[in-house]
Amino acid sequence: MGKIIAVHSYKGGTGKTLLSVNLAATFARLGKKVCLFDLDFRAPSLFAILKVDTAPCWLNDYLNGACDIKKVMIDLSSRIPGNGKFFAALANPGTEAIRDMSAKDRKWEMRALGRLLSLRNTLLNDQEFDYLVFDTSPGLQYSSINAIVTADFVVVATTGDRSDVDGTRRMLRELYNLFEKKTGLVINKVLDSTSKSKQDEMNARVKDVYQVPMLGLVPCFCEILRAEGNLIFAQDKPNHPFTKILEAMAKRIDANQVN
Amino acid sequence: MLQLADVIVVNNYQCFVRLNKPSLISSTVLQFKILGEIPVTREELLSKKPLHVLEKIRENLERLNEKMEVMIELQKHGHKEAPLLPDASLDVMTLLSMPDHLRKTAMTICRCGRATAEEVAEQTSRARAVESAYLNQLVIMGYLKKERKGRKAYFYADRDSPG
Repeated sequence: MGKIIAVHSYKGGTGKTLLSVNLAATFARLGKKVCLFDLDFRAPSLFAILKVDTAPCWLNDYLNGACDIKKVMIDLSSRIPGNGKFFAALANPGTEAIRDMSAKDRKWEMRALGRLLSLRNTLLNDQEFDYLVFDTSPGLQYSSINAIVTADFVVVATTGDRSDVDGTRRMLRELYNLFEKKTGLVINKVLDSTSKSKQDEMNARVKDVYQVPMLGLVPCFCEILRAEGNLIFAQDKPNHPFTKILEAMAKRIDANQVN
Repeated sequence: MLQLADVIVVNNYQCFVRLNKPSLISSTVLQFKILGEIPVTREELLSKKPLHVLEKIRENLERLNEKMEVMIELQKHGHKEAPLLPDASLDVMTLLSMPDHLRKTAMTICRCGRATAEEVAEQTSRARAVESAYLNQLVIMGYLKKERKGRKAYFYADRDSPG
């Protein structure tokens, strides 16, 4: 049976979208059947990263009960080398749609949770997807918590910035723990992490601060900034160190070795 | 009325009945003053199927327990009929604010969609009677709906009602 992975963080700008796109692309490159979901309805961005202008239906429509999930998923498998399958379900980037999504009430959010939970049956069971990767909004808000509740595993993206550390620690204790979610921490934008000793020191410090398993350290790569979101490294730069790090993470998740 | 049986309420979930002298039963229905009626006939009590009788008593006691749970909750909150929060919805923020023991039960119903206390107990590794009490508590609070089908009671979150 497949897994649902939510990529979440306390603050914005920690690299959730970068991680989720590349994680999903890596799974597909490893031959898996994957669907990437843009659950960041307040600031949709996957349509731009994946260079998809229009969709027959948006994820918003699916959560509104207006269409089937099959109508939302766009097949991008041809972009990935090998036999893997890569689909994307995108959030509507229109201003009106964003406004509409932020005005939903509790009852709607409850139904949306039901619809997300039913993906387990429709996609993991019936269509035999290996991974559904949810890119979420930062912080504690409905769409993100719905994604976390639905997920089997939460990738928590964070940076070394102190504005992020405290909040992340609190969220681990007061959100993921309460829902009994398995988590893996990714420290992004790490400086000087090339030496083994530095990495070990970082790992020990992180375990001490957060008390949760580490999924990986991602160094600060100038090439990523320089690419200005035009490249999906896991797809376009298979030999880049960033791609290799993502590959290691994907393999650890796949082998259930995050602990 | 003769003291036919001792009812020992252990806690909210367990209650024992000790039949003193079944032969003295004169009425056809055994009456429990506080708990209500248990339809066990004299013939059943005196027949040669003690296991069947015990089984029936157990079933009835379980139903009474459920009713008592509801009564206790109603007393606690001073409401008579309607759920405590008529517009309550089982959304994630509500789940977050629940006490841990109820969250576990509510999450299981969220995942399963619809389940009996027994099915929930299988997932949470807690006793069926405990889950039954928690589920009924969630029904009283207005977060879950309960539907009887034959002998089984199914619990679910009502996501489809308008609102």
